[in-house]
Amino acid sequence: MSELLIKNAYVIDPINDIKGEIMDIAIKDRMIADSVSDSAEVIDAKGCLTLPGGVDSHTHICGTKVNFGRYMSPEDMRAGRGRAQPHMYPVSGYSVPTVYANTYRYSALGYTTVLEGAMAPLEARHTHEEFFCTSLQDTMANTLFDGNWSVMEAVSDKDLKRVAAVVGWTLAAVKGFAVKVTNPGGTEMWGWGKDVGCIHQKIDHFGITPAEIIEYLIRANELLNLPHSVHLHCNNLGKPGNYKCTLETMQRTPNLNDKRQTLYMTHVQFHSYGGTKWGDFCSKADDIAWMLNRKPQIAIDMGQVMFGKTTTMTADGPMEFNLYRLYNNKWSNHDVELETGSGIIPVFYSRKNLVNSVMWSIGLELALMTKNPWQCMLATDNPNGAPFVKYPEIIALLMSSRYRDEEFAKIHPDTGKRVHLPSLDREMDFYEIAVMTRAAQAKALGITDIGKGHLGEGAYGDVAIYPIKNNDIDPSRDYSKIIEGFSLTDYTIKSGRVISRHGNCLLNGNNRTIWVKPKISEEYNMSNDPEFVKKFERYYSVSMENYPVEEEYMNKRNICIETETGL
Amino acid sequence: MKIELSIKPREKPFIPIEAESITPASFLEKMTEDITVWSGNREKKLTEIFDVKKSGNADSQKDVEIILNGDCSAVKRVGEYMKDGKISIMGNIGMHCGNFMSGGLIEINGDSDSWLGREMTGGEIICKGNTGDYCGSGYRGEKTGIKGGKITIMKDAGDYLGESMAGGEIIVNGSSGNMPGSEMQKGTITIYKDAVLPCPNMRGGICYVLGEAKEILPTFKQTGSIYNSDHKRELNIYEGDYANRSHKGKLFAGKTNKK
Ligand SMILES: [Zn+2]
Repeated sequence: MSELLIKNAYVIDPINDIKGEIMDIAIKDRMIADSVSDSAEVIDAKGCLTLPGGVDSHTHICGTKVNFGRYMSPEDMRAGRGRAQPHMYPVSGYSVPTVYANTYRYSALGYTTVLEGAMAPLEARHTHEEFFCTSLQDTMANTLFDGNWSVMEAVSDKDLKRVAAVVGWTLAAVKGFAVKVTNPGGTEMWGWGKDVGCIHQKIDHFGITPAEIIEYLIRANELLNLPHSVHLHCNNLGKPGNYKCTLETMQRTPNLNDKRQTLYMTHVQFHSYGGTKWGDFCSKADDIAWMLNRKPQIAIDMGQVMFGKTTTMTADGPMEFNLYRLYNNKWSNHDVELETGSGIIPVFYSRKNLVNSVMWSIGLELALMTKNPWQCMLATDNPNGAPFVKYPEIIALLMSSRYRDEEFAKIHPDTGKRVHLPSLDREMDFYEIAVMTRAAQAKALGITDIGKGHLGEGAYGDVAIYPIKNNDIDPSRDYSKIIEGFSLTDYTIKSGRVISRHGNCLLNGNNRTIWVKPKISEEYNMSNDPEFVKKFERYYSVSMENYPVEEEYMNKRNICIETETGL
Repeated sequence: MKIELSIKPREKPFIPIEAESITPASFLEKMTEDITVWSGNREKKLTEIFDVKKSGNADSQKDVEIILNGDCSAVKRVGEYMKDGKISIMGNIGMHCGNFMSGGLIEINGDSDSWLGREMTGGEIICKGNTGDYCGSGYRGEKTGIKGGKITIMKDAGDYLGESMAGGEIIVNGSSGNMPGSEMQKGTITIYKDAVLPCPNMRGGICYVLGEAKEILPTFKQTGSIYNSDHKRELNIYEGDYANRSHKGKLFAGKTNKK
């Protein structure tokens, strides 16, 4: 039995309503405990900021798409090179670095739990293989259902239970965690060289609309009683004027769950654009935030863009094709049989570029205009908006209006006419940052009950101690110290063991993969459904027997959340 | 200052030596004993791999001359980031010689392996033998190759000569392999003999193939011909590559063979 006592910690733990108290944290055998014996190992936090381990509710670090980003950008590996160290593998890469680089860098920022934002069910094995080596974080995978033929046929038949049965079967088969919908219907249309304009456009062959796909999946998600809500990447990403589509999607969202949101909308920055073309492109973050403030059933993440080099990758194939035509750089395009697709291109977000400057402003506006920080998470859609190593800079931008003003002075001079950012003087405090970087994310993912994202008794002993002393620092003025402090923890502790100390990763973090298994009656078990079985025989390149990811294939310590369903 | 390095016989001569420390700057700034190289995955003192003879003094890198004796075909990255001075290689040299070089002179009496003068911005490299692939190019995935300076090859070059070249000059007195000047943006390549599939996807710059240009791509447009008095021959002029959005490249070829 291992015991650990963190003494003299300045703790903010939003889920347990602790808003900054000096206290001790006891961890016994991986879990937070009431007390420990005198023989426990002691860490003196010296009054430094101590938070639950960070949770990233939307990032792309594992899977075929990420790996293809690595293939096509070997030049990315020239950055971020680090030699092997006693407990660490050598690393390289910046926006699509090696698996170990991702896990080490996340742990240096204090993160202990991450959700891979998009896993194509057919290619799940690859994601789980990389999860296995993401040794310092617990992982989960959003599973893509945007262009799933069986789902779309069931929606077309208005058969909610069948939608739920397909989703439930697939999630359990591929060991996924949540339902992800990327440009619903658009990825299927892209297979025919088309896209969908907005949520009411009919999808060829299936005769249904994106709005119907979203509606049915939301209801199926609740029928399956899944921990997380539907995780939506809206239609029309990155197009001027798309805010109307986003607003209508929000407007239509019912309120079906009293424990968490009913819909999680990801990287909303990319969906809050006004104007009709790039020439009159502007921010509509105010309209989106206004709607969000009236809709407690919705949670979003920022999808913040930060200046510099990165790689964009998404299941949204048609959108990547548009980006390719804009940048004329290399491009990858991928089709996943009956399920989804993907595209990848490298990009450079430039301060001198007006469109990029407006995008940068919109992400910040969304966070600052959303009244309730529990509804807006801090994320960049890593690496789409920026690699996650930029999170500390975003924290500083949210905490200091002075820093924002200084940065604003460096961007394209016409930005001011198109955004609201200079008029916003809100400065977030440490509590709000703690909400946006772990508590709200854990709540939105529905993993607080299994002991993630907080420091209550019985929770996993995941703790991040930052070299920041609340009383000695004025975040508004000393924003550079905020960046520094959040960039490198003194200690990152996962399951009661120190996994990173000043960025030196000390040992394997006993990483687990969290997945869901909805309990479904034989009547609704898709394995027995002749039509579903026939789909595999006729269209899939793998047989139904070979499709599921076996439990033995994953790491042994995984956590399976079984849910009671209405099926 | 003159430094003579003679490679010692090695038990396993195929193990590569990473020798980015062999530059005029390191000999000027460091004691010879403090200079190290990597032999495979082991860091070793330079003096363990080479016999080192040092004579004279120098105030600046310009006054430093390094001479490499023996077969150095497994010695990589010699002259990387070199700014000034001279490196004379008496035999063959390994990959990545003169990477990122910005000034000075590297003279190779034997053959050079691939990636000679990769991404260099200035200075001069003269290779009296053959060179391998990717001479004067950018590294994998990189969008710009050599940006300045001059590379002269007295014999033949391998494939992808001057890939993504963005400035400077490359002269090959023999032939080149496949696809010289691919993705070329600026600068000049002159090949005195033959080349295969020259300049695919070129956006700008000039490439001369004075012998036979084999398999010119169909996306190049012949705009005329010219008598070139420098090289004393009739050259066909091509514009391209029309496969690219920008196609301001010029290809001059002696004999042509369009596939
Ligand atoms: Zn994403």
